[in-house]
Amino acid sequence: MSTHEPDRAAEDGSGAGSTAPRSLAEALRARDDASLGALLRARPDLLSPVPSDLTQLATRAGTRASVIRALEHLDRFTLQTAEALAVAPEPTTYGTLLALLAGDEGDDAGVDARTVSAALPHAVAALREQALLWGPDDRLRLVRTARELLAPAPQRPSPTGLGPTVAEATAGMSPGRIQEIVTAAGLPSTHDPVSAVASLTALFTDRPRMSALLDEAPADAVEVLSRLVWGPPYGQVTAEPAAHLRWLLDRGLLLPTAPGTVVLPREAALHLRGGRAHRALEPVPPAVDPAATHRATVVNATAAGQAYTALATVEELLKDWDEGGPAVLRAGGLSVRDLKRTAAALDTTEPLAAFWVELAYAAGLIAPDGEADEQYAATPAYDNWLEQPAAERWVRLVAAWFPATRTSGLVGGRDGAVSAAGRTLSVLGPHLDRSAAPEVRRRVLALLSELPEGASPDPETLLARLRWERPLRGAAASSDDAGDPDDLRARIARWTLTEAELLGVTGRGALSEHGRTLLDGGGAAAASAEAAAVALLAPLLPEPLDHVLLQADLTAVAPGPLERPLAEALSVLADVESKGGATVYRFTPGSVRRALDSGRTASDLHDFLNTHSRTPVPQPLAYLIDDVARKHGHLRIGAASAYVRCDDDLLLGEILADKRSAGLRLRRLAPTVLAAQADPAALLEGLRQMGFAPAAESPEGDVLITRAHARRTGPRTAPEPVPEGPPVPDGTLLTAAVRAIRAGDLASTTPRKHAPGEQSGALPRTSAAETLATMQAAVLTGEAVWIGYVNAEGSASQRVIAPIRVEGGFVTAYDHTADEVRTYPLHRVTGVAELEAEA
Amino acid sequence: MEGIHVNGPLIVQSDKTLLLEVDHDQADACRRAIAPFAELERAPEHIHTYRLTPLGLWNARAAGHDAEQVVDALVEYSRYPVPHALLVDIAETMDRYGRLTLSKHPAHGLVLTTTDRPVLEEILRSKRVAPLVGARIDADTVAVHPSERGQIKQTLLKLGWPAEDLAGYVDGEAHEIELAEDGWALRPYQKQAVEGFWHGGSGVVVLPCGAGKTLVGAGAMAEAKATTLILVTNTVSARQWKHELVKRTSLTEDEIGEYSGTKKEIRPVTIATYQVLTTKRKGIYPHLELFDSRDWGLVIYDEVHLLPAPVFKFTADLQARRRLGLTATLVREDGRESDVFSLIGPKRFDAPWKEIEAQGYIAPADCVEVRVNLTDSERLAYATAEAEEKYRFCATTATKRKVTEALVRKHQGEQTLVIGQYIDQLDELGEHLDAPVIKGETSNAQREKLFDAFRNGEISVLVVSKVANFSIDLPEATVAIQVSGTFGSRQEEAQRLGRVLRPKADGHEARFYSVVARDTIDQDFAAHRQRFLAEQGYAYRIIDADELLAGGQGS
Repeated sequence: MSTHEPDRAAEDGSGAGSTAPRSLAEALRARDDASLGALLRARPDLLSPVPSDLTQLATRAGTRASVIRALEHLDRFTLQTAEALAVAPEPTTYGTLLALLAGDEGDDAGVDARTVSAALPHAVAALREQALLWGPDDRLRLVRTARELLAPAPQRPSPTGLGPTVAEATAGMSPGRIQEIVTAAGLPSTHDPVSAVASLTALFTDRPRMSALLDEAPADAVEVLSRLVWGPPYGQVTAEPAAHLRWLLDRGLLLPTAPGTVVLPREAALHLRGGRAHRALEPVPPAVDPAATHRATVVNATAAGQAYTALATVEELLKDWDEGGPAVLRAGGLSVRDLKRTAAALDTTEPLAAFWVELAYAAGLIAPDGEADEQYAATPAYDNWLEQPAAERWVRLVAAWFPATRTSGLVGGRDGAVSAAGRTLSVLGPHLDRSAAPEVRRRVLALLSELPEGASPDPETLLARLRWERPLRGAAASSDDAGDPDDLRARIARWTLTEAELLGVTGRGALSEHGRTLLDGGGAAAASAEAAAVALLAPLLPEPLDHVLLQADLTAVAPGPLERPLAEALSVLADVESKGGATVYRFTPGSVRRALDSGRTASDLHDFLNTHSRTPVPQPLAYLIDDVARKHGHLRIGAASAYVRCDDDLLLGEILADKRSAGLRLRRLAPTVLAAQADPAALLEGLRQMGFAPAAESPEGDVLITRAHARRTGPRTAPEPVPEGPPVPDGTLLTAAVRAIRAGDLASTTPRKHAPGEQSGALPRTSAAETLATMQAAVLTGEAVWIGYVNAEGSASQRVIAPIRVEGGFVTAYDHTADEVRTYPLHRVTGVAELEAEA
Repeated sequence: MEGIHVNGPLIVQSDKTLLLEVDHDQADACRRAIAPFAELERAPEHIHTYRLTPLGLWNARAAGHDAEQVVDALVEYSRYPVPHALLVDIAETMDRYGRLTLSKHPAHGLVLTTTDRPVLEEILRSKRVAPLVGARIDADTVAVHPSERGQIKQTLLKLGWPAEDLAGYVDGEAHEIELAEDGWALRPYQKQAVEGFWHGGSGVVVLPCGAGKTLVGAGAMAEAKATTLILVTNTVSARQWKHELVKRTSLTEDEIGEYSGTKKEIRPVTIATYQVLTTKRKGIYPHLELFDSRDWGLVIYDEVHLLPAPVFKFTADLQARRRLGLTATLVREDGRESDVFSLIGPKRFDAPWKEIEAQGYIAPADCVEVRVNLTDSERLAYATAEAEEKYRFCATTATKRKVTEALVRKHQGEQTLVIGQYIDQLDELGEHLDAPVIKGETSNAQREKLFDAFRNGEISVLVVSKVANFSIDLPEATVAIQVSGTFGSRQEEAQRLGRVLRPKADGHEARFYSVVARDTIDQDFAAHRQRFLAEQGYAYRIIDADELLAGGQGS
């Protein structure tokens, strides 16, 4: 239980606003709505559910889970500031904090003190905003839970490498031993251990006296101290320590913590460090260096080219899966073999294929079809998507990519987070969601957008910057997380760079204009940003062509993207040999046959080629078409369910002539063979009824041809991103939440006018007539009143309401506590009191 | 400088092929820019296809081009943005060349040096490299056994770290050789080829058949002025080299020796056949001593694309000699292009077929495929033939013979070659056409006699087997009819086409017929070879034999 919960009973009506706050709740109460909103925005976990008042908010803000989460979201300098606060005395002053960070004056080992003092106000403000720090500058207090998490403890090394204070380390020491130390350190003995420890602490923190003490130290002892100074501060000693250790132990420069273990007390370490809590303070974020700079036109053109390729790749993937995609594994996802096959079909590597598959999935273009033998297939949304202009299709893909939490980069890796054994993660399978992905992605792209136009980042400096912004917290964080979160963030950042390039958000590593536009739009501006990105991208995409170049080596080259009908017709008539900016098609007997199979005639094909070729059709190609057409259809294949054969063709003629045979749908294939659409049993029966005596043959020759058709799933929604923690609340929600908390707070803490004989804080009690009168008065004045209320279950509560209407035994009022208009039966209102005018 | 041509002639494909639109204004400039690093793969009428390969990029590095030039050329002429990944890949690939160098150390002899220590560490850990190197001299240098100079280059290339060979060459035994340019001169491209080779030290010159590769060899010898070993495919070819060298250089008959199955002369200039070198007796190659018999200053490999595997092995030991490879195509049906690169050297000169034809140095050709309908009984016999007999059967049908005879009649009076694979088919044809047949068993003397008669026009039809595929010079052949071939061999097609490509005295267009049995495997093989023709830019037509026979003298 947190100890900073305010003792409400101690408060009196004089108001808390004028003096320094005595608790976090009081500090919060003193903040304005905007600043409370900022807190809730930064720590949205505090909002679920909406706390009833500020006391509850403060309590929740102090819980361990919430504080850990908040600390994890701090940048490195702010975290270092918090760490410094955790080793500073409680409460501390701003000056002390600055000294801990920047070190003693004149100490040139550390960072520039001016930089620190310029950065520190921001860090302190950030900690205050996040309710991790409260109190005025002369009495700064870190929230206790944060202090416990960050402060040094024997079982957990502090990020600062500092040990416990003298007072903490000597807590269990005998008074006699303390007096010995004080004497050895050259201090006068004192009456009690407390003052002894105080005087020792004073010595250690007094730079000149401490330096004088250390000047006498043996060289070996100095060496020992220098080993411990930057942490870890603990060392092992034997029962009979060497002389130089003895010297240190005698003077309290090393204090025993457990048998055989000694620690360098914090004050002494700080002296040796020149007062600095951190060896390497990073007050300013590391800059992201540009690796190369390209002209904006080059960047945009390259990105647009890649954007077009991205669209083509997704289309190709879907076309590949059009007639029934790969099967869904029982555990979900795609088998490794199917991924390999898809990669081969896309002419790319497996990781890239995984990316495209996941992208199509995130965009809602593919989904499992939900049938018994579950397969992946295109969704109806895909058909809509296909209808859209290229630039809009691209925006759809990128808009799905930005917030996606599924990370294709993990595919093929081991799933360490879910089970120790670790399953191989499959594409489209479970456990690919990484909640950090959207945030990292957004940060990476934001950092790119901060670079000068056309500059591509040096990935290492980009990663360094990301690490600064969200440093890995010490051992405390990683111990309860199986994976290596920092590593994951760095990997996501790298994937983001690759994927952005693949999607054409960046070109040559630099953010493109259309990518930037899309990135800037968020929330309400999204639609207009998308429109703007479409407008920027559309002119850069190549115009579809209506012609190809035919060559005598039986190839056709489309020197750019083709109009869709042309591309589709050509891909039937010829095989694609090479892809990229252009497409090379090769005509083979097989491909020409395929075109003939699809119902085209040779003259159709000649016309088609003549129409779409700017040069005469090469003679060998025309010859090839005629040659294949000559043979095409020579052999005929059809489907029949049964046949009738008989050596006597007259008999067969007789059967055909008989009207009763119509239902059997017989057809004469040869003089002695009839084919029937009816199945053998029906045929047998039918012929018997006609008076013949047929005999059944073994059912060979049954040909069933199933026509391939495009498979579609039912309507599917795209997978929802799995965000990290609760979503960041939008403005409306925040305002409402702040109002609700305030109202609740008002209800619970506002001092009320004292009714005679009434105890402060109790439910108001008034007679029914008085209640009615007060209510009616409040309707007229529009003021809020405080009521006691007993609900249908009989539980009493207090609420602050602004009555709007009183009629028929009910009061309709805006309930500040619930933040909505409610109606209360008057008979359940136990009493009413006006609010203190001040509120 | 980064430029984006809104409408450049070049399209970069994702499979690393480059498509060049030849009718584009900038096509020539673009071709010149990309030729050093991209291999021309296909050159049909509208769009030429080049391919980027690691070998091609290393060839460019060896010729002194750097990655920046390559990237610039692509970006400069590309119609669409070049994928960033491709540019990065090019830079990385090219960067691999030259990290390792072979050079002469004054104290340690042949050494392998690196500019990038981890690379040296990596390759030294390879099991295949370990037996080839000696002591580590310092962190960046390791000694190499001089005898393993070729081996190590081959191995390093396979490991993806091609070494630059700066160890230089021995001069060899000097021998005065001059070109006798009386009334003729090296053509400009031949001169460029010689210069390209000499400047580069060793390497391969790629020229189409009939473009005068022998003269490039002679030119190189005149530069080297040293004893020369010439390796050729067969004896006829050897005689031709000798004949040509006597005619075009200051060398006399006595200075040129022939080292073949019949003669074993070792003279300042010695011409040896692949066959004699690769003859194995009791598990050893008895004629290998030839390589050591003189201090050769230059080794010339004719028809590099046919170089038999054992010769590569000998060549590995010849790394200190200058080596010149001559070929019409770097395409090897056995895929040993990388051995040519590492053991003979990178490509030093390359001129596309069509370009030389445009300059008038080789004759234009009209390629026609004649499709023959087999008779019903032949079709049935074909359908039931054993798989391995199928090609032989359809290639040698009587119907084809009749069509061939008709073709010969049609071109009566023109110098006609009938080329085939199967001896009995050729004999039969020879009988029907009343023409002499040259085949493996025909003696060299008889061959030369027949060739002379053909040259003089005493006989106008000659039936030849595949022995005539290589290096025979039949200047006045204007019609070639191939009736059967070594399956779908593309380089055989190139050689045969080359037979009719020598410029004709009367400027008559050469004709190249392939007689093919329809709907058989013969047609499939023909398609494969025809594709090669089309890719070389030769327009070809397909006509039906019935049409041809019905049309009589038409077409």
